[in-house]
Amino acid sequence: MLAYILRRTLIILLMILLVSSMIFLLFRTMPGDPTASMVDPSIPREARQALLERYGLHESLWTQYTIFMKDLVRLDFGSSYFYTRPVLEVIQDRLPATLILMFTAMIFAYVIGIFGGAWMAWRRGSKLESAGITFSLIFRSAPTFWVGLMVILLFAVNLRWFPAQGMRTTGYEGTSFREIFLNLDFLKHLVLPAITAGLYFLATPMLIMRNSMLEVLSEDYIEMAHAKGLRDRTVLYHHAARNALLPVVTAGALFIGSAIGGQVLIEVVFSWPGLGREIVQAVTRSDYPLAQGSFIILSTLVMVMNLIADVLYAFLDPRITY
Amino acid sequence: MKRKKLTMLLVIGMLVAASMLFAGGRQEVDSTDHGPLVPDLVILSSLPEANLVNYEMSQELAEELGKLGVNITAQPTDFAVLLDVIYGEEMDYDAYTIGWSGRVERLDPDMFIYSINHSANANPGGNNTERYINPDFDALADAQRSEMDVDTRREIVWEAQRILAEDVSRVTTYSRANVQTYNKERFTNLENMSGEGLFNEWSPMVMEPLTDRRVPVVASNVNITNLNPFMARSVYDWRNLRLIYDKLVRLSVDVTPTPWAATGWEIVDDTTIDVTLRGGMNFHDGTPVTTADVKYSYEAFMAQQDSYFAAFVEPIDSIELIGDSVIRFNLKNAYAPFITTTLTQIPILPMHIWSNVGDVTQYNNEHPVGSGPFEFVRFRNGEELVANKFNDYFYPVKIDGYIFKIYASPEGILSDLQLQVVDMVSYDLIPAHINQIKDNEGGRYSHLEITEAPDIGFFYIGMNNFRPPFNNKDFRIAVAHLVDYDYALDVLLDGYGSRGGGGLVINAANEFWHNPEVPIYDTYDPEKARQILVDAGFTWDSQGRMRMPK
Repeated sequence: MLAYILRRTLIILLMILLVSSMIFLLFRTMPGDPTASMVDPSIPREARQALLERYGLHESLWTQYTIFMKDLVRLDFGSSYFYTRPVLEVIQDRLPATLILMFTAMIFAYVIGIFGGAWMAWRRGSKLESAGITFSLIFRSAPTFWVGLMVILLFAVNLRWFPAQGMRTTGYEGTSFREIFLNLDFLKHLVLPAITAGLYFLATPMLIMRNSMLEVLSEDYIEMAHAKGLRDRTVLYHHAARNALLPVVTAGALFIGSAIGGQVLIEVVFSWPGLGREIVQAVTRSDYPLAQGSFIILSTLVMVMNLIADVLYAFLDPRITY
Repeated sequence: MKRKKLTMLLVIGMLVAASMLFAGGRQEVDSTDHGPLVPDLVILSSLPEANLVNYEMSQELAEELGKLGVNITAQPTDFAVLLDVIYGEEMDYDAYTIGWSGRVERLDPDMFIYSINHSANANPGGNNTERYINPDFDALADAQRSEMDVDTRREIVWEAQRILAEDVSRVTTYSRANVQTYNKERFTNLENMSGEGLFNEWSPMVMEPLTDRRVPVVASNVNITNLNPFMARSVYDWRNLRLIYDKLVRLSVDVTPTPWAATGWEIVDDTTIDVTLRGGMNFHDGTPVTTADVKYSYEAFMAQQDSYFAAFVEPIDSIELIGDSVIRFNLKNAYAPFITTTLTQIPILPMHIWSNVGDVTQYNNEHPVGSGPFEFVRFRNGEELVANKFNDYFYPVKIDGYIFKIYASPEGILSDLQLQVVDMVSYDLIPAHINQIKDNEGGRYSHLEITEAPDIGFFYIGMNNFRPPFNNKDFRIAVAHLVDYDYALDVLLDGYGSRGGGGLVINAANEFWHNPEVPIYDTYDPEKARQILVDAGFTWDSQGRMRMPK
């Protein structure tokens, strides 16, 4: 087991280097140089040159690459061209907002998805099952920005139950994490975007759960459990659902890995100050350090979460050994 | 069978050869009657999602020129790539669409007369990307630059506009209007400035609350990126920084330079200007503002070649302090925009803070301390900037502060306008939202007032004057007759804007500097365009392709 984890960690490290190199190259091959979006065209040419030199962009690609890799090994992602602040600081600033939104949405989607999926498999062929599938697929297929706008229109503009935009009431004071995130005002702002995102994510755990439940339900030991005279609920949740969970765990782990990237459309529709918007902006402005840093962290998280999912397997299913 | 195939091939080959010979021969014949072919052209335009109007207008022009027998394609291009091409070393382009935004300092004619039209800037990287060159014009552009008397300068600028309109250095297609909105039930007495809109530097100083809500929420759909004056490069950063930091002179609503942190200035001679600093001012941390702070600020900007203001401080040679209150600027040469742009743009920084930070460009400036009418309270990236009224300020500000609230989309702002979370906007409303607010369905926008200010900026079709056919003035005049200005304004802009025209760079929104007497080619008339080309000696060969004059 330990040897397995070690081996995987090594592979991950190699992959990170590979991915980083690819990301580095990808951004350099993007059209336009970063100064185009940084300076006004009316600024003299020398000024633009000076800017290129400040950021080391006048160096050869190879020199830039070696500097980039050297810094990366020391976990130094450099400074954002736009914010003139360290990349990690910019990311840190925006990360909590994204993670809280994504995890709330995930809990919403996975709790409903797992129980709903199991139940749907149990009631296979019923009208409620097809209703459940249709419901989850509608929100999976509908554009999230449209769902978001409808949700705002209904719950914020017409019913006025929840605020429409942002993460807190305008002018809200508070500096510490506790003051900012652990209060009713924040929760009120969280509801609409979390539900919109949650509805979008719902289909994945729900349908995976349903499918794997269907498989499990045809196993002999389920029949055995029935034969023992156990109650339906006990058979469903104790015997079947636990075994059907594995694929959902994989999907969940991968989801957490990518959660840091956020849901850009939802962040835009609700003006949620998350990292997703920041990453998109960094790319369009050719803010190389910020974009590179975000993508490297993002891909690392996906790989690490994958590893964790594999390790979790061994605990959830004793038949699996490494 | 094989032989048959071979003969077929041979016959085909001979036919092809014969037709090539024949075609070649015809070209020979043609060229004796005609000038050279008008070369194949490419218009680099905007991606439709980036600027639909530019995209449509270049398609329209390509179609019109196509009808006249010019082989031309409009090629949608990413903005960054377009800048790379037109500012590139090779200057390899025929035509393109782009625009100059109407920033307030561009109300001074120097930018739109000298910077973008003078032959000195027609080299790679210069702003005269049309490569327009006319020595008569150059003389006027130089003269207005060094003419310190405003009225004389205006006469020169007016004459320069006449030449640009005659030569059609570029074809301006349209200007947008700055249509914005505010809550008229909560605030009154806002100013509206062309090129700036509602959240200009005056509104926060003069607007008055009508209710007990004394802190207006200003909506922005663009984030603030940097609060360091040496690194701030966006208009959105500066719209806040100029309220936190003070300036010696501010441009009034009707764009006359008004002494502000200065009590006045004296033009000693063409290259020497004495500015007197207002007494008794303090920075937000209580330290008095001195002439040393002013000298430091200007010199710090002079040392930064790539700052936002690089072009404005470039003419300054040295700065001296005379007594306690006078700052003497020695210029390298007479520079007319000195008062209207240089003095109105450079912020006064507290020397006691900035001289201790080392490399000013690397300083975070998380908590800006200035001497302006508003005191910085906090900024949350992607959310809001909060500023309070500075109680020790010499001008009586009527609101208690303001909150600059950052949104991710205009749709979000519209819902918050309806919910009265937002009191005014700081960006131009999109046409769909203007119409929605005007329709006022169910009275949901009754509390909003729509304001409209003409924009001094403009969008245009640039033509490489070094290349045929655009090196031919008559061809450019013909192009000015092929642009459907009404289509741009009435259809694509829903009427929110103003018409363009050949060589129009200073439009009517810039009342003082615009020359209303100049005749402008601004009618869409393809027949007239054809006639202009015929009169200029352009011909069409037997295949209908346009030929340059012999």
